[in-house]
Amino acid sequence: MNNNIITINRGCAIVVSALCLLLGSCSKEEKLNTECDMLSAWVEGEEYEQYFYRTADMRVENISSTTTEVVFTVRSMSELPAALPVYFTLTDGAIVSPASGSLQDFTAGPVTYTVTSEDKSNHRQYTVLFRQHDTVATPTYTYSFEGVDSTDDGIMGNVYHVFYEQTAGGERNYIWASGNLGVSLVHTEWMPADFPTRSVADGYQGKGVCLSTQDAGALGAMMGKPIAAGNLFIGTFDLEQVVVDPLKSTVFGTPTTQEPVSLSGYYKYQPGETFTNASGETLAGRTDEASVYAVFFRNQNEAGEPVVLYGDDVLTSPYVVKKAVVASLPPTDEWTRFEVSFEGGSADAELLASLGYSMTIVFSSSKNGDTFEGAIGSTLYIDEVTVTYTNE
Amino acid sequence: MNKNRLAFLILLAGMLTQEAFAGEGIRLHARAGYSVGATSPIGVPDGVSGIDAFRLTPSFAVGLDATYGLEGRWAVAVGLRYERKAMDADISAQSYHMELRKGTDAIEGVFTGHVSQQVGLTMLSVPIYALWQASPKWHLKAGPYLSLLLTKDFSGTASDGYLRQGGPTGPKITIGDTPDTWATYDFSDEMRSLQMGITLGVDWQALPRLALSLDLGIGLTGIFPSSFSTVEQPLYPLYGTVGVCYNIL
Repeated sequence: MNNNIITINRGCAIVVSALCLLLGSCSKEEKLNTECDMLSAWVEGEEYEQYFYRTADMRVENISSTTTEVVFTVRSMSELPAALPVYFTLTDGAIVSPASGSLQDFTAGPVTYTVTSEDKSNHRQYTVLFRQHDTVATPTYTYSFEGVDSTDDGIMGNVYHVFYEQTAGGERNYIWASGNLGVSLVHTEWMPADFPTRSVADGYQGKGVCLSTQDAGALGAMMGKPIAAGNLFIGTFDLEQVVVDPLKSTVFGTPTTQEPVSLSGYYKYQPGETFTNASGETLAGRTDEASVYAVFFRNQNEAGEPVVLYGDDVLTSPYVVKKAVVASLPPTDEWTRFEVSFEGGSADAELLASLGYSMTIVFSSSKNGDTFEGAIGSTLYIDEVTVTYTNE
Repeated sequence: MNKNRLAFLILLAGMLTQEAFAGEGIRLHARAGYSVGATSPIGVPDGVSGIDAFRLTPSFAVGLDATYGLEGRWAVAVGLRYERKAMDADISAQSYHMELRKGTDAIEGVFTGHVSQQVGLTMLSVPIYALWQASPKWHLKAGPYLSLLLTKDFSGTASDGYLRQGGPTGPKITIGDTPDTWATYDFSDEMRSLQMGITLGVDWQALPRLALSLDLGIGLTGIFPSSFSTVEQPLYPLYGTVGVCYNIL
């Protein structure tokens, strides 16, 4: 191969192009980047540390390509200064307005930043907001799944449900995530009822959640993911990893200042008929099972760096302090109560008060759906899930 | 002796020595050749930032030509060829428009990373061309051809990069570098069944019945119909063939 750089304008002669291919090495003038992502955001300056629980909370890393909302958690909104500098890393060549590091007032609400690609052809708007951590005062908290949004993926015409909790200040806090985003990748014009994770009108009380294991289609099968289990969990779904390392696409937990004691709720379950493995082969004699569990874990390591749990270590990580795993969920068509205690160690009060622990609750219509084993048609209904805390 | 005069003398010599094809009637030649080339867009498309490797892929053409001599130095010929045109290239892509598809499911978007592209076509071609005898040993050829595709393959893998669904601002999906985690595509069934183009070539009469030939086939129709939008730039087959031509009768 020769290393000549042949600069070619569009529309040049066919023969030149053929020669270029035959020579095996050619390149155009360097192409300007068309992407415009906000990759990370941080507040810089020791004088601002006092407003955060931990210095780690001053940084928001690995902003997902599917997110346009960047949230900083602070101790108190009323104490937040009216001018704060937020810095950003962006896609190479992209620019942001207002500028990175410029002083903005976040006490009045979110600030919108526009990122423009190097070639100026694309823009993305991000809202950056500061939110006071919601400290639950009650000894129990019940997730009723009444807060449901229909989200349009904006690309394939798919609409699916996302679940949120109401903060004390009345804001929507999207702590719940599901694999719906991954499913919407390969389908067109699917409505909420078509997705494996969805809201249903007839819950135990008010609305409920329906999770069903589905055929992931030809493209899913091609990638060794023949089924898509319905799942719902506290955390985020990282679409970026869904092909390469699907167990890393479920990122569990949200920080809490309370130590959980027990988990209860209501369910209905019916397993699908044919149990298959990741290769799509039928495993005779296997019956699908649902899974419900909650995990309370340390969210930073000894060095103060953030710890998140993924699909491959949520139950086994050394950072797990205690967990509540519902042992069995026998098939039933009636709303049936489950209750299980958290077992394991206990929290350090000081660390707990400084948001050093996180909790997740996980529901799946196929227990081994994370490794793509299960039965298409398995359906789990969930509603009124209550966590009891130690504080009285 | 100046250059103009030299040129004139060569031309004159040619005219004097040649009654060439006249009166030969129909002659039959068998041809066989090895082809090298590419299925290529015109210019480098947006989204291709470099070609990392281009592997020679066995391509060939065999066939028969019937030549009919006309007045003076001219002849016309019609041929029937069985050809294979293939290529195998590794491309560095930057926001390259593509679609991953299996069955009815598809992910369409732009890919940044490594693309390994295979094209393999076998076809029956009918070239019609004019021959002009430049000298007793050199024959120049030019004319159109029509190809009927017998087998079609346009497929490849996208690896070691990421796909953004819908466009550069869409959801990002990392694509790995192992068979489990890379993405494959196959647009073989979308390809046209008929192609046309032109051939330019030269024959050199090495022995009384045996000539060596060099031909360039330039596709004028894209390999995909214009209604197929996934591959944005039209791709044209461009193949050079080095071969032999044997005068059967």
